[in-house]
Formats: sequence, structure tokens, C-alpha cells
Amino acid sequence: MLEIEDLTAQAGGFRLGGVSLAVAEGECHAVLGPSGSGKSTLLNAVLGTLPVVSGRVLLFGEDITRLPIERRHLGYVPQHLGLFPHLTVLDNLTYSARARRVPEAEYRPLLDRLTEITGIGALLDRRIATLSGGERQRVALVRALAANPRLVLLDEPFTALNESLRRELWWLVKDLQRERGLTVLMVTHDLTEAHFLAERITVLIDGRQAQSGDKHAVYRRPANTAVARFLGLKNLFPARVLEAGGVDCPLLGGRIGVTGSTLPAGEAWLAIRAEHVALRTPADPPREGETRLNGRFEAVLDLGESALLRFRAATGAVLEVRCGSRVLRKYRLQPGDAGVVGLPANDLFVIPATTPAA
Amino acid sequence: MKGLRASIAAALLVLALYAGLIVSLAWFLDGAILRETLLSERTLFSVRLSLLAATLATVLALLLAIPAAYALSRHRFPGREATETVLEFPIIVSPAALGAILLIFFNNPLGEWIQENVLYFVFGFAGIVLAQFVTVLGLAVRMLKAAFDEVPVELETVARTLGASPWHGFFTITLPLAKNGLIAAFILTWAKALGEFGATLMVAGSMAMRTETLPIAIYLRLSNADLEGTVALILILVTIGLTALYVARRLLGKAAYA
Repeated sequence: MLEIEDLTAQAGGFRLGGVSLAVAEGECHAVLGPSGSGKSTLLNAVLGTLPVVSGRVLLFGEDITRLPIERRHLGYVPQHLGLFPHLTVLDNLTYSARARRVPEAEYRPLLDRLTEITGIGALLDRRIATLSGGERQRVALVRALAANPRLVLLDEPFTALNESLRRELWWLVKDLQRERGLTVLMVTHDLTEAHFLAERITVLIDGRQAQSGDKHAVYRRPANTAVARFLGLKNLFPARVLEAGGVDCPLLGGRIGVTGSTLPAGEAWLAIRAEHVALRTPADPPREGETRLNGRFEAVLDLGESALLRFRAATGAVLEVRCGSRVLRKYRLQPGDAGVVGLPANDLFVIPATTPAA
Repeated sequence: MKGLRASIAAALLVLALYAGLIVSLAWFLDGAILRETLLSERTLFSVRLSLLAATLATVLALLLAIPAAYALSRHRFPGREATETVLEFPIIVSPAALGAILLIFFNNPLGEWIQENVLYFVFGFAGIVLAQFVTVLGLAVRMLKAAFDEVPVELETVARTLGASPWHGFFTITLPLAKNGLIAAFILTWAKALGEFGATLMVAGSMAMRTETLPIAIYLRLSNADLEGTVALILILVTIGLTALYVARRLLGKAAYA
């Protein structure tokens, strides 16, 4: 449905190069990346506000790379929402219909349905300045969708909201996406938001496409250390893939069995997500394929729903451990306590040494 | 605390200086002469001429300034910086020098051709309008650019994603949101044109009942040592100017999105 082919775009001194991705009809695709990675540049190139240096943007097979913005039929919700402050909510919502001279009988049923789903029916006569943050988000969403766009572009529209309101709006977008079969390309730096809303993700790092794919696959198996670090992976250790199988990682005590690694022998990084590091006691019987490390908990942080711990192994490795608050209470861990952690072979994975992890 | 008092005292001194100068006019204020001057045909001619020329010069300046200011606010193009620098030109160069430049221009072959085949400017009404136009154009562009800068580009982009052409977006989003700035620019530009003297004197001269705008009339009366008449004309000019500035301040004081 949306196909971006080897797209290169220039924004001032910044260059976004060689991005290729496809978004299927009815799918939500999230573009993730740290600040300055090129997320907004990519969105602006699709939107048409930024000239494309090379490559193509295809929408339903039609090349829209050089098409004027108003002829692309895209729905757009920018970070600051772009609501027209001199117009009422209703005038904002019907702006597209008036600009395109669509008769009321044609646009009204969809508009009524959208205002009903989003619960903004009572706001129609209000001025934008009188709306709350959540109400503004809803109005901006409905305005973009009321034009019946072929593709919806979301540019971090929920960034400024508090956690509770954000979740509420995520559900709303999810519901709208399901009911309207929306195809969405969204930009965010929030991994949770991307996981909630998107099926597939693309990670941009320093203006390059670092990885694209199913969100679970990218999360579980980052393509390189830059992606891994952006996705919040702290437990990365220099290692060597052995020809005989397994991985030699001195910081984790030497040779370790890793399930499913297809990397050729040579330098690599051994990684495990913080939530996959298991808390153990010296009395726990050994488990097959699990690497045990003795050491000391340097820091213990109870975050409410979960807990974050920093563990320094006797081998010298420092690991981040995430567990449920209940688990933390069960083990009654305090900073400075000696302890044992387990690294299941299934959860350890190898990342190619293409980018330095320093 | 002492610093605050000193700065407030300085602000009040500024007020006292200008208010004192205006109040000092009362020394030569004669009720009978004031009434006679205000109602004289010559004064009414000056008022009419000034209002007409200033309005025409302002409208013409805004017609050019609106697209120019919009381009400067929204686009990067070759010559943009040079254009912005030229806008300072009427501020740096005195109006008399600007008028002299215009007069010299109309003495070169191209200027003479324009005078003979398009419109005669020197020592005529068109000359007054042109002198005021050239003097206020830079100010108009600067003020309008500031007004357009206040309107986020994002709103125009959203309007276009909703199907609006750039023109439609400009007239339905940008222009209404820049409305207060536009009105303020019109009033201040008009007030400056109304008080313009140097360039008008150079291009249009100081002919009574012909090119006698209010500032020129003040100059002519003062030249003839008619202090009472001068005071009456100054009061007219000051009243019109202050009213315009008051209206502009009220508009500029309002929130842009109110």
C-alpha cells in the first residue's frame, strides 16, 4: 500500500539516506529512533514538505514522490497537532470538506461516526483555546480521519500528554484503526507506544535505516548494537563466536551455550535483555543451558510495577536485571547483598560486531 | 531597589520630555487662530491631501509588502539576505536622502522616460505618494514579516494535507491568524506616511495648495513665522498620529489567536 523505495532526503545539513520500507493496508508501522535520527525527515518526505533527493514514495502503486501535498490525500497529525486556533472545533473538522468542496451529505456520516467514537460531539462549537490537552488530541485525530485519507501520518502526537491520557488515546487509535481499517505510519521515540500501536517497526540511527521488521523480532533480535542500545538493551558484552559452536565471553565466565545463533565464527557481542536475567538463590538446582553468575547487587530500585537492579558479577560483568516487584519482595534484596543470577541459553543472543558498543 | 526606582524615573522622564514639548505648544495656542486655521480651506486641503496620499501610499506599500514579507518569512531563496538588508535602508538613510535619490533618478534617461510616458511624479501628487511609498515600504515589509513569522508553518502544512491549495491555505489560515499584525502594520505604516516630510519635500516640493501635505504646511507656516498657525497644524498631525498609534497598540496588545 505504502512503499518507500531507497529514499534519500535532505533537511538543511542533515541527510536521510537509503530508506526502504513497506506498510500494508490496515497496518500500523512505527518509525523509531533517537533524536536527530531522521524520523521526522522521513515523515516529511512522505508528507511532501521536504524534497526527495532520490528514491520513490508509492501509495497504492501511484508514485506520489513529486505530488503536491494537497493531492496526496494523507491524514496528518503533527506533534503540536496543528489545530487552527481561529476556528471552532466543527470548522476545524470540516475544513477539508470545505477546501475540497465535498457536499455535507457526503462527509457528514463519517464525521458523525468519528465524533461519536471519540466522544467530542459536545465540543463542536468550542474554540480550540478552550479545549484540554486530551480533547485537542481527539479533535486533531478526527480532523485527519474525517478527510478519509489513504494513509495517516502521526508525528509523535502523544508526546506532551501524561501517561494515563496517552494510554487512553492509544486505545482510541487502536479502536479507530480496527474499525476504519486505517493504514498508519507513525513516528515516535517511545518504544512502548510503538509496541502498543504498531505491528512492524523501522529503527533509524544517524540518518540510516538500521533495522525494519516485525516489532517482536526487532525487539528480541536487534540487528546491531546501536539498535540494541536504542531499544534499551544494556547487557552487551564483547564475545567471540566459536567455530565449534557456542560463544566465548570472558566477562560472563568463558564459554557459553547460545541457542539459535547463526553468526559465523568471529568477533561479536553477547546480549541478554534485563527482564530475561533470572534471580536465583545458591540453593536453586542448576537448570539446563543456564549460565549462573555469582556476584553482588549494587543497586536495587523498586519502580512500583517492576524493579530494576544492577548486578556486578564476580567475573567483572555488570548486568541490569528487571523483575516484577513481587519477585523483588520474595528475594528481599537490598543494595550490597550477595546473590546469584541465571542467564537462560534461550534468551542469550549474539549481535554482529558491526558497530562498536563503547 | 534603587536601580528599579532610577529606571522608573528614566521612563517617566521620557514621558515628561515628550508631553512637555507638546504642552509647551500651548504658549502659542490662540483659540481664535486655532479655529480659523482648522477651518481654513488651505488647512482642509492639507488634511485631505495628507490623508489621501498616506492612504494610497500605504495601500500600495502593503500590496507589495504582503507577498514580499510572506516570501521572506517562509522561503529560503537566492537574494533573501540581501532583500532583508535592503529593508533597513529607509531606516539608515534619511528620508531627505531617499527623496534626493528619487529626484536624481527622475533626471536620468529612464526616469525621464517614465515621467514622459507613464506618470509624472516630480512636483505633483504622484510624487508625494511615491516619496511616502518608498519611505514606508521597508517598515511595512518588516512588520508584516514579523506577523507572518508568528503563524506556525505547521498550520499551513496541515491545511494542505486537508486538501487546501497553498492559496486557499494562505487566505483561510495564514491571513486570518496574522490579521492583527496586518492591521497594526497598516496603521503604523499609514501614520509614518502621514508624517513623512523629507522625501516629500525633495520629490514634490513645497507648493501651497498643491503639494502642501500637513508636514509641508507646518514647514511653510514656520518659515513665515506664523507660530500660531504652526501650532494648530501640529496639533492636527499629533492628534491623528497618536490616535493611530493608540489603535495599533491596542491591536498589537491582543493575543494573536484571540
